[in-house]
Amino acid sequence: MPRFLVAYVRWVERFNWLFGRIAMYSLLALMGVMLYGALARAFGSPPIWTDEMAQFLLMGYFMIGGAYALQLGSAVRMDLLYSRWSDKTRALVDILTVGSLLFYLIVLLWGGWESLQYALEYGERRRGLWRPYMAPVKAIMVLGILMMILQVLAFTIRDIARLKGEEI
Amino acid sequence: MPTEMIAALMFGSLLLLMLTGQRMFGVIGFVAVVAALFLWGDRGGHDIAFSQAFKLMNWFPLITLPMFIFMGYVLSESRLADDLYRMFHVWFGPVPGGLAIGTIVLMVLISAMNGLSVAGMAIGSTIALPELLKRNYDKRMVTGVIQAGSSLGILIPPSVVMVLYAMIARQPVAQLWLAGILPGLMMASLFIAYIWLRCRLNPALGPVLSAEERAAISTSEKYRLLLAGVLPLGIFLVMMVPFILGYTRLVESSVIGALAAVAASVYKKRMTRQVWETCLVQTLSVSCMFLWIILAALAFGAIFDGLRAVEFVRDFFITDLGLNRWQILILMQLSFILMGTFLDDTAMLVIVAPLYVPIVRALEFDLVWYGVLYTITCQIAYMTPPFGYNLFLMRAMAPSSVSLADIYRSIVPFVGVMILGLALIMIFPQIALWLPQTLYNP
Repeated sequence: MPRFLVAYVRWVERFNWLFGRIAMYSLLALMGVMLYGALARAFGSPPIWTDEMAQFLLMGYFMIGGAYALQLGSAVRMDLLYSRWSDKTRALVDILTVGSLLFYLIVLLWGGWESLQYALEYGERRRGLWRPYMAPVKAIMVLGILMMILQVLAFTIRDIARLKGEEI
Repeated sequence: MPTEMIAALMFGSLLLLMLTGQRMFGVIGFVAVVAALFLWGDRGGHDIAFSQAFKLMNWFPLITLPMFIFMGYVLSESRLADDLYRMFHVWFGPVPGGLAIGTIVLMVLISAMNGLSVAGMAIGSTIALPELLKRNYDKRMVTGVIQAGSSLGILIPPSVVMVLYAMIARQPVAQLWLAGILPGLMMASLFIAYIWLRCRLNPALGPVLSAEERAAISTSEKYRLLLAGVLPLGIFLVMMVPFILGYTRLVESSVIGALAAVAASVYKKRMTRQVWETCLVQTLSVSCMFLWIILAALAFGAIFDGLRAVEFVRDFFITDLGLNRWQILILMQLSFILMGTFLDDTAMLVIVAPLYVPIVRALEFDLVWYGVLYTITCQIAYMTPPFGYNLFLMRAMAPSSVSLADIYRSIVPFVGVMILGLALIMIFPQIALWLPQTLYNP
């Protein structure tokens, strides 16, 4: 495989791994926020920001963690046939069908990008008491989708290499 | 193109693409966005996929999902339930089939502390299974016991499957969980009755603990082991009491439960660096998998809503086939079980709910009640070959003396018992609905 493709795979996977690990630990932050909210309410001064903060954190958790979860091989496949194929056949079929996955992710990115632009342009805020700006969480979502696309491309490069008898 | 053609085309291509083994969320999402662009491309149809993310975000109880998954992993990875098994072992050992019965009770307790069946499976197959096999319990019965018992994890609250169902059916999670309690206990009792009966008819299936082994356990030891039950009970109470008293909300209780499980494992000195790492990584991996699939399935469901495909299906059944609503419901459950035998469970979970729930609503059935039926049918799907989550877990975890054929055959009687339970709840909806109705409409 060309050197720059190998470098691409390495860099993308390292980047996704790093951000995925950060997302993984954000689960603890999510717990902290919810716990703080519950305690503060019990002592009579309910904070207005905890619920939405928790929802934003969950969004970040699974959007940014998505690419790392893909690396961990957690994505469910229907393995009626898949489990019976050799590694090479799997790589070939994945290369042929990966377009569908990419198409979905790109349409997702398209919608996300427009939504983010809107949020930035009009200073969109969430309704309620706290009224947080929506741009940051939308930016995180767009970043997460982008990371998924980069990860899927990295997988595809790995698959092509596998077909040629190389392992990256 | 007529609606029914589009709907059929969407389903056909979905199944076909799934067969290639491409990642499920991608396939579901792909079919959804292609249909959206085709139908509403000129009116912002591309936005449908992304806007589902806000549905996910705004569904507050969704936060319980990673919490209960995390809690389940802490519980099984730090081996908190080991002592619990010992307790049942000692106390139920002298009864014919007692160890198997004790395992079911153990599973009920574990189910009350986590939302999926994984923790129950892990504990059942690594601790209970070897012990039972060593005592000459029939291996086919034992593997069935563990699979059936652990599947109660999604029926007895807290239940992750019910959180997902609640989101799709727009029903309150707390009511669904309450509705799951009695059917869960009923199911456990049915399992126990079955085991007891089989072992009574054929004592070789579940021999009693030998006299010397019983003598080796002193009375004080017996009572000391009862303390093992205190810890899980404590976790459960710390989690549920503030919720029931109204101090915390469901989501906060799930956080407290997760932290209580961590605290318990630290107290027991079982929380090593390795365990901590595994719990966090597995939680991320499973939660993300669920959430990305739901994200795609919501888009798929939104398009089905937009197509008004449900009305078409309902008209087809009622007007064209002349069926009444009960016949349709039974037909739906049968097709659900049938699909469960060859479709992947996660796919079932997210495809079936958006599809069936509107039909059930159109037929004017109670959606909380249907949630229980849905969950039990998921349990059955988890266990039925060739594709069952539990089957695979079992194969991965069981000792090599248990063959795949044993595992397949072991579940048959238990699936029978579960279908009986399903029928009972269909005939007597009060089994599920009594508890939520009494507590919510005093």
